[in-house]
Amino acid sequence: MENLYLPKLVTIEDAYLETPDVKSFRLVFKDEALRESFTFKTGQFGLYSAFGLGESTFCISNAPTRKGYIQCTFRKTGRVTGGLFDLSIGDTMGFRGPFGNHFPIDEWKGKDITFIAGGIGLPPVRSVILNCLDRREDFGDITIVYGSRCVEDLVYKNELQHWNDRDDVALYQTVDPGGETPDWKGEVGFVPMILEKAAPKPKNSIAVICGPPIMIKFSLSVLEELGFSDNDVYTTLENKMKCGVGKCGRCNVGDIYICKEGPVYTAAEIKKMYYDF
Amino acid sequence: MKAMYLKKAELGKLISSVQDSGALFVGPVVDAGNVVYKEIGSASELTGDYIIPVTTYKQWVFPQTEVVATFAVTKEGVDLDGVDLDPPDVVVFGARACEAASLASLRSVFTWGEDDEFYTRREDRITVITVGCTAIDDECFCTTVELSPASTTGSDIYLRETTDDEYMAVAVTKKGEAFIKAHHGVFHQKRAAEPELVELKLPEPIKGIKKEKISAWLARTDNYQSELWPRLTRKCFGCGACTFSCPTCHCFDITDEGTAFGGERRKNWDACQFDHFTAHASGHNPRDTQFKRWRNRFMCKFKYYPDKFKTTGCVGCGRCIRVCPVRLDITEVMEEISQISE
Amino acid sequence: MEKALREKARELLTTGEANVIIGYEWNRRKTRATPAFITKADEVDRLIFNPLCVNNLSIYLTRKNKDILRMGKPAIVAKGCDIKNIVVLISEGQVKREDVVIIGMSCNGVVYKQGLWKGELRPEIMPVKCHNCDVRNPHLTDFVIGDHIDFTPPETPRGMVFDKIAALDAKTPGERWSFWLEEFSRCIKCYACRQACSLCYCERCITEKNVPQWIETSAHQRGNIAWNLVRAMHLAGRCTFCGECERSCPANIKLNLVNQKLVLTVKDAFDFKSGYDEKIHPPMIVFSPDDTENFIK
Repeated sequence: MENLYLPKLVTIEDAYLETPDVKSFRLVFKDEALRESFTFKTGQFGLYSAFGLGESTFCISNAPTRKGYIQCTFRKTGRVTGGLFDLSIGDTMGFRGPFGNHFPIDEWKGKDITFIAGGIGLPPVRSVILNCLDRREDFGDITIVYGSRCVEDLVYKNELQHWNDRDDVALYQTVDPGGETPDWKGEVGFVPMILEKAAPKPKNSIAVICGPPIMIKFSLSVLEELGFSDNDVYTTLENKMKCGVGKCGRCNVGDIYICKEGPVYTAAEIKKMYYDF
Repeated sequence: MKAMYLKKAELGKLISSVQDSGALFVGPVVDAGNVVYKEIGSASELTGDYIIPVTTYKQWVFPQTEVVATFAVTKEGVDLDGVDLDPPDVVVFGARACEAASLASLRSVFTWGEDDEFYTRREDRITVITVGCTAIDDECFCTTVELSPASTTGSDIYLRETTDDEYMAVAVTKKGEAFIKAHHGVFHQKRAAEPELVELKLPEPIKGIKKEKISAWLARTDNYQSELWPRLTRKCFGCGACTFSCPTCHCFDITDEGTAFGGERRKNWDACQFDHFTAHASGHNPRDTQFKRWRNRFMCKFKYYPDKFKTTGCVGCGRCIRVCPVRLDITEVMEEISQISE
Repeated sequence: MEKALREKARELLTTGEANVIIGYEWNRRKTRATPAFITKADEVDRLIFNPLCVNNLSIYLTRKNKDILRMGKPAIVAKGCDIKNIVVLISEGQVKREDVVIIGMSCNGVVYKQGLWKGELRPEIMPVKCHNCDVRNPHLTDFVIGDHIDFTPPETPRGMVFDKIAALDAKTPGERWSFWLEEFSRCIKCYACRQACSLCYCERCITEKNVPQWIETSAHQRGNIAWNLVRAMHLAGRCTFCGECERSCPANIKLNLVNQKLVLTVKDAFDFKSGYDEKIHPPMIVFSPDDTENFIK
């Protein structure tokens, strides 16, 4: 029987402590055939099981161009993420997915792309960044604006260094005022202010944004001022999810099931959603 | 297939015949002062004196709690077993026409995109035998939502009581026809004179309610913030009685139970009326007050289901009105919406 | 009586002594009483009071109902039994006495369930609490509406609940256990019992706490027993036997038996009955040096 709720077993191949309460895992399927056949699209998410505790939803943070494994990054907040956080290399967990729609990056060929992320909002954006970097010649200028409350809270520090070293990526790293350390070399200021400073050109350009609601809100108005069209600004919505397949009735924003029809939306589409979310 | 007849006195024979075939026979029984659907052993347990059972027969297609997987955590890793569901055949006797119409709504949710086979396998094996209503109460409103005690939607076999204590049986679906064939010894064709049927009782459609006006009003985005929602629904204190007694409500939770060494993953009924239903781990809650949760339930029935699945979300069985501890009557909200959109 | 109630409500709203009257009104068909929130003086005529006014409206004074708290200072229409819950809420620091206007209603009893009403209040359709009521003249009020009622409750409380408790007490523990297993097997985990109870005012109930998961949420035997026992225990020494949980239960679980048994047990052990004096704390939340138990010393 096709059991929608049966996870696939995965082994934690690598684990990395990003911040005191954020961890990244690199997962491989126990089933070797599945390692080969598994594909996903950038922006899709999965449900990750800590057996005995339950399932939690987060994005797949690596790019589909890098096959054979799944990466995820999560903050320890509740029962399931707390349980996952306690797991380490060699442990088994469950994975269901991939679910949801994706960023239409094939339609972005030839365009400039600006990534704007805050705190734990970088993992979903990272999938798109890696995907774009792996097909670097398909796109124009790539700008990344990433910030967090303090230096300690920045995730993917090694990768940030790597992006910083590339001369075909403009990376603006920032921390909120007061969050800097004495040796901090990046910017100090809230993400929307740094975005204003980076001032990506709106013509033939795409923006991808993910982070706390307040950051999204102010960054959207900066993008608007810069001249970006709402149709060119993409984000990924989060809502509480249990099933991932449009059955459990939890993630819906009005009649829109985020898990099936989302989570990726343009700013124009989100402005049309008058429901609570 | 021509109408067949079944003597009320021979219901016992039908039950035995169903049980001999390996199927469960579910019917209305009195339990702790309520009429509820229950699996029964003999005809003496059945009651005919009811408007509609308090509980739904949804539990035989979508159980309150259902194991979807079991797991054991060992030193080597995790042994995980998915449930391969082989549900029993279930015959529901004494269903009402309103509730029979609800399975199509449930099915639409459980089959859009991927099939939830925990639902479909059970639904495929259920046979619904409806008895046309000869009694109604103040809470019945099927005729207000375009159904009636005479509707056969969702029934496999539709029964009408006759004045000489029999049922006239009409097979509505192939499944119903097959059922009558399989238990042909219990059904008989009628003698020369057609029997007289007991008249059906139809609730008077609520005059103030106009379904198309409700749809039009709900479609206007500014009405989402209407003062009507908090005003009419603030007395709701957020229990799940309405959703759990509703034949079309489908929300569920997935939860693990057991110890650190093993346990099971379950799919449990959940209710959009509970305050933690949509709460994020961060503390953010998109439906953070009760009227928003109530509005969601109403819109789910009268906008989201019709728009998205082209099915009705409300069959007018009236159960949510009967069980509501604060008597929040969904028809009063329907009526008020119909009237303000005049 | 309704006239006096409406006049009082009008006065309170007009003078601004209260911003919202929490009372009862008719449903649209005028067959059932339902909670009402009146904020305008010209709407006070919606208020009613009769034996169908079963709801214990004190639920709307708790922090579970924030959108009602936001409406401003409440004046609550309350029967003596409802006032008992307000007393407990005050003694537990949930409501300040000065923050609520209590309109006490003289009461000759209500129906057990509204569906039983046939136009006349007969003893058979009244709940046990009404037959043994010692607060028909409400005890903690700002105003009393209605005439003084001469009624002396029986010295030893009696009625179906007490008979059933006696019958259960006569059984062996094994038989009692099977009785409750059967009773709780009907639970559908809708939590109407909790939501209807003004003394279950936690914003995050223990059933919703999952780190660790104290109570299994499934509606199976373990989960049902755990929930129903925990609910009962959390109300020991606090429950006033208002009966709202049993009335709200769609599965007709005999919660009044559990609750009254706890009331009797607390009375025996601590000589305490909740709901009468807002200055006395319930026994389960106070420590006294002469406590008969010594585990805590």
